[in-house]
Amino acid sequence: MENNLPEEELVARAKKGDQAALSQLVLNYSSRIYHLGLRLTGSHQDAEDILQDTFLIMVKKINQFQGKSSFYTWLYRIAMNVGLRKLKSKPRKYEHISLDDPDFERVSSEAASEWPDFGYDIVNDPHFRQRLDRLIEQLPEKYRTVFILRDLHGLSTEDTSRILQITPSNTKIRLMRARNFLKENLEKMLKTEMQL
Amino acid sequence: MKLDEELLKEICEYMGSDLNSAPCKIIRDHMEACPNCEVYIDKIKRTIEIYRLADQCEELPEKVIRNLLTCLKLDDPSKTCKK
Repeated sequence: MENNLPEEELVARAKKGDQAALSQLVLNYSSRIYHLGLRLTGSHQDAEDILQDTFLIMVKKINQFQGKSSFYTWLYRIAMNVGLRKLKSKPRKYEHISLDDPDFERVSSEAASEWPDFGYDIVNDPHFRQRLDRLIEQLPEKYRTVFILRDLHGLSTEDTSRILQITPSNTKIRLMRARNFLKENLEKMLKTEMQL
Repeated sequence: MKLDEELLKEICEYMGSDLNSAPCKIIRDHMEACPNCEVYIDKIKRTIEIYRLADQCEELPEKVIRNLLTCLKLDDPSKTCKK
């Protein structure tokens, strides 16, 4: 099969039971869905489970996809529902915290502590990545989901809102709080670990 | 400060305003003269970049793809292209 068919064509063929088209769709999205699961749960095993369950549902229900939204929005919504169900089935790793809006009064002290450059070597360090993972896992789900979709997967505010079934305003507010929480805590982590 | 127009748009959208609105003009005027805002915004952008980079370090293992295709009873289409 031509591996550069447009997505609409792949979906149309997959709906008719074309196995090669189904395989191609799976391969096109498997990395993104795996990373979504990994960031959502912080566990490789859970990410693999989410990946399998998402595509099992996709294969089973692709005939119900009517093309009212884009295919990836439909698929991400399945993956997010699967992922959130997985999270609910497990004990919470961290206490629930509430997030506020950024304290813009404090922005006046920002210039005092600029950050070093983070290259691939630093971020690829397992210890550093473990700390990053722990920070994102502390983010309550409703903020984490928005950060993953908007900032890590590059989805638009509108698509993120559709996938999470929240208003665009809520998406923006949650994104701002998520970004600020991660930035504040990353800064604390850098101060402790790198003596900034 | 050289303003990142995309970011300014995002801040204005967050406030429910468009780029040419009066509240957005106030933000633009402030940011053009505020080095602390520049550092704050730079840190937010770098936070996002660090997490994106961390995601790039985690590749989807080959074994996981093979397990997935087996579980779905599908073939790997790339296999047919390999000699």
